[in-house]
Amino acid sequence: MKTEKTDIAVIGAGPGGYAAAFYAADKGKKVSLIERSPRLGGVCLNVGCIPSKALLHAAKLIIEAKESGVRGIHFSAPTIDLDAMRAWKESIVSKLAKGVTDLAARRKVNVIHGKAYFQDSTTLRVETAEGQRYLSYEKAIIAVGSKPAMPAAFDLGNPRVMTSTEALDIEQIPPRLLIVGGGYIGMELGTVYATLGSEVVVVEAMSQVLAGADQDLVRPVLRRAKESFKEIRTGVKVLKMATEGKQIRVDLEMGGEKRQELYDGVLVSVGRAPHFGDLGLENTGVKCTDRGFIAVNPRQETDDPHIMAIGDAVGGTMLAHKATKEARIAVEVITGESSSFEHVIIPAVVFTDPEIAWCGLTEDDARESGRKVDVVKFPWSASGRALSFDRTDGLTKLIIDPETERILGVGIVGAGAGELIAEGVVAIEMGATALDLAESVHPHPTLSETLAECAEAFYGYATHTMRRT
Amino acid sequence: MDVRLPRLGEGADSGTIASIFVKVGDAVKKDQPVLELESEKAVASIPVPVDGIVAKLHVKEGDLIKVGQLIMTVTEAAVGASTPRVTEATAGEEEPEPVQTPAPVTAGAALAPQVAVVVHETLDGPQPAASPTVRKIARDLGIDLRRVKGSERGGRVVIDDVRAYVSWLQEKAFAPQAAVTPAPPASVDFAKWGPVELKKMSTLRKTISAKMVESWTHVPHVTQFDDVDLTRILELRKAHAGAYEKQGARLTVMPFAVHAVVAMLKQHSLFNASINDVSGEIVYKKYYHIGIAVDTEHGLMVPVIRDADKKSMLQLSKEIQQLAEKARERKLSLEEMQGGTFSISNQGGLGGGHFTPIVNAPEVAILGMGRGSVRPVVRDGRIEQRTILPLGLSYDHRIIDGANAARCIVDLVRAFEQFSEDDVKI
Repeated sequence: MKTEKTDIAVIGAGPGGYAAAFYAADKGKKVSLIERSPRLGGVCLNVGCIPSKALLHAAKLIIEAKESGVRGIHFSAPTIDLDAMRAWKESIVSKLAKGVTDLAARRKVNVIHGKAYFQDSTTLRVETAEGQRYLSYEKAIIAVGSKPAMPAAFDLGNPRVMTSTEALDIEQIPPRLLIVGGGYIGMELGTVYATLGSEVVVVEAMSQVLAGADQDLVRPVLRRAKESFKEIRTGVKVLKMATEGKQIRVDLEMGGEKRQELYDGVLVSVGRAPHFGDLGLENTGVKCTDRGFIAVNPRQETDDPHIMAIGDAVGGTMLAHKATKEARIAVEVITGESSSFEHVIIPAVVFTDPEIAWCGLTEDDARESGRKVDVVKFPWSASGRALSFDRTDGLTKLIIDPETERILGVGIVGAGAGELIAEGVVAIEMGATALDLAESVHPHPTLSETLAECAEAFYGYATHTMRRT
Repeated sequence: MDVRLPRLGEGADSGTIASIFVKVGDAVKKDQPVLELESEKAVASIPVPVDGIVAKLHVKEGDLIKVGQLIMTVTEAAVGASTPRVTEATAGEEEPEPVQTPAPVTAGAALAPQVAVVVHETLDGPQPAASPTVRKIARDLGIDLRRVKGSERGGRVVIDDVRAYVSWLQEKAFAPQAAVTPAPPASVDFAKWGPVELKKMSTLRKTISAKMVESWTHVPHVTQFDDVDLTRILELRKAHAGAYEKQGARLTVMPFAVHAVVAMLKQHSLFNASINDVSGEIVYKKYYHIGIAVDTEHGLMVPVIRDADKKSMLQLSKEIQQLAEKARERKLSLEEMQGGTFSISNQGGLGGGHFTPIVNAPEVAILGMGRGSVRPVVRDGRIEQRTILPLGLSYDHRIIDGANAARCIVDLVRAFEQFSEDDVKI
């Protein structure tokens, strides 16, 4: 049995894993990147962020065409060719995946396609199509990500009950679609299916959809979703599901009242679960948290001195860019830098219509922790740019420390909010004050002005609004 | 407006409130002292920046407070009740530091640090604003940014602040230690031998004590004795005291002493110098700020007369009187006790002969004046009655040699004995 040697073994080639592998290679390490699926890129690239954004773009086109009547442009109702749409989405995904593969090759990262299994703390066994390979390493970085959670009561083995992975394949457009879970995945895919013609019902167990975002940011999304979706119900418990002919019978409980409903399709989007059960972690010193994720310290080190872990596998905010940041920290720690995942601002973007984006402290956070903050808001109805494309249903707000005038949080809802939030991240990371933002000239006419106007409003002199007194 | 603890000056950023002079509802005038703060350096009174009524006190006596901490809320008098918040928020920070830097002098660690490095003793506050780059550097260096004072808007720490902090740390680390402080003697139970009374040492007393230990252990002391014939000065004083009184000033021996000392220092610049232990330089100061030791019921305080060489005898008389009063009322600001170049300790009013004062480091010399007394003196072959005053000039033997001191005291005695009447005349 021949054992290959490597400096760093990265398990999982998603946005955390490949970022870690490339960064380590750039720092002169000999790196092996192990991926169980034939394509690199992980969930984000293959069955997550990228394909969902492609489909949302398609949906946006349909919506815009439909709403262009007021501008004197009339289109006839679109015809949808699902196969062509899927192929187009596929082409985007494969182009990106190929890009990642090329980048790996150019860095001489040893990519191994296969299932990894820890023999012990420093040896991996990889089951590849060509047989078993053994790999010994100095440090391993676990970046195996997460998978959509599928509670056993919903798992009928019926393709009409989908997770986000299947839903992104748009095999068909169910006439009546139930979405279980009103988080960002449910709300985003709900937008896609509603636009493509499904009658969408969203049920959420908690009292509000899109938990985590401040409610004033969620409101414009709800207002629009209520028009395009059939229903959004909160405080609903889904008890069980059963196949009934070509439909799914769903047992619900709502306000103490039980009922049965029939749907042509169900999307289960109740969260994401870890999946490292078959990794052989029991042969290492790695320990798990109470919630079932890999336990790490802020330096991404597990309890096993040879093994680090990043991304969804360690829990927290399950976002690609969080995984990428952790990848940098893990590699820097390995190469002897004193990096640490502390005071890192991770922005969140929900690609609903309109988009919601926020970073740093939210108003809810501040309220819960009892921290005194000043909140200034700028409604997009006062933005010329928003008016120019009929999307005044937006709001920009700053959460400011009244003592130091530092910007602690930024929240935006509105078309393209995701593209605007990075300025907020830089402001918070740099320790900028509201004055810093107000003093920086923002180009006209753009939506970015709403950030500057917010900052000005804090001092009581925003050009396009008046502070209510 | 909210009144916050202003910057106290070099190196001091916190203190204990010794007393609060006002209560809620009191009317206060701009610059009126409202509380007294004992810091490691000294005791200083803190003035209120506006006219108004005290609406709320946020601190109480005995509290340890830091620069920038809310002290009290004052409802401002009618005019301009609402200051724009921008100005209000930044005003305190942009106040210039009270630094007087004569061009050729470079101050090092032996002197009070010029860099406004503030060390926060507690680390319970939130992380200060700083860019990711600065945070990374700080993390690499193992520096907790909460200890570094940010110089930018919103207390933002920039790389220069970290740099200043690091060099301050380095200077501190490599400054010659004031010998190894011996462990304090074991506490003795005096009550065994008879009744005793226990009284806590005040912060001021602790400060004096620490300062004395530091000067005594760090500076190799020698005291040069001499006597000065004060008869002429007493005659001048008698002749001009009336005129001074009309101007509201008391002509005592002190202004003469200050004047004579300045005349001496101009000839012996070494006695007006300081040592920079770090750079190995002697810092010759081109200014004459004379410290006057004042005995108060709380303990010794040393206010400083700035630019004593540029002041008339009348100005000196008035200023000495004012500073002494302020010291006794404990209303001296920190600034008024800093920057001295030479000190005078006059025990004449109390009695006693020669004594050996301790140099007020980082100064290098101090003059101790005893009580003058009438004695028979041989002058031009005849015995005369003259008023003789004992002098003790203590100095730092590291840079001042015995010969320097002997020459110096001869010139000092001459400056006293040949005091020019023109200088006294108003």
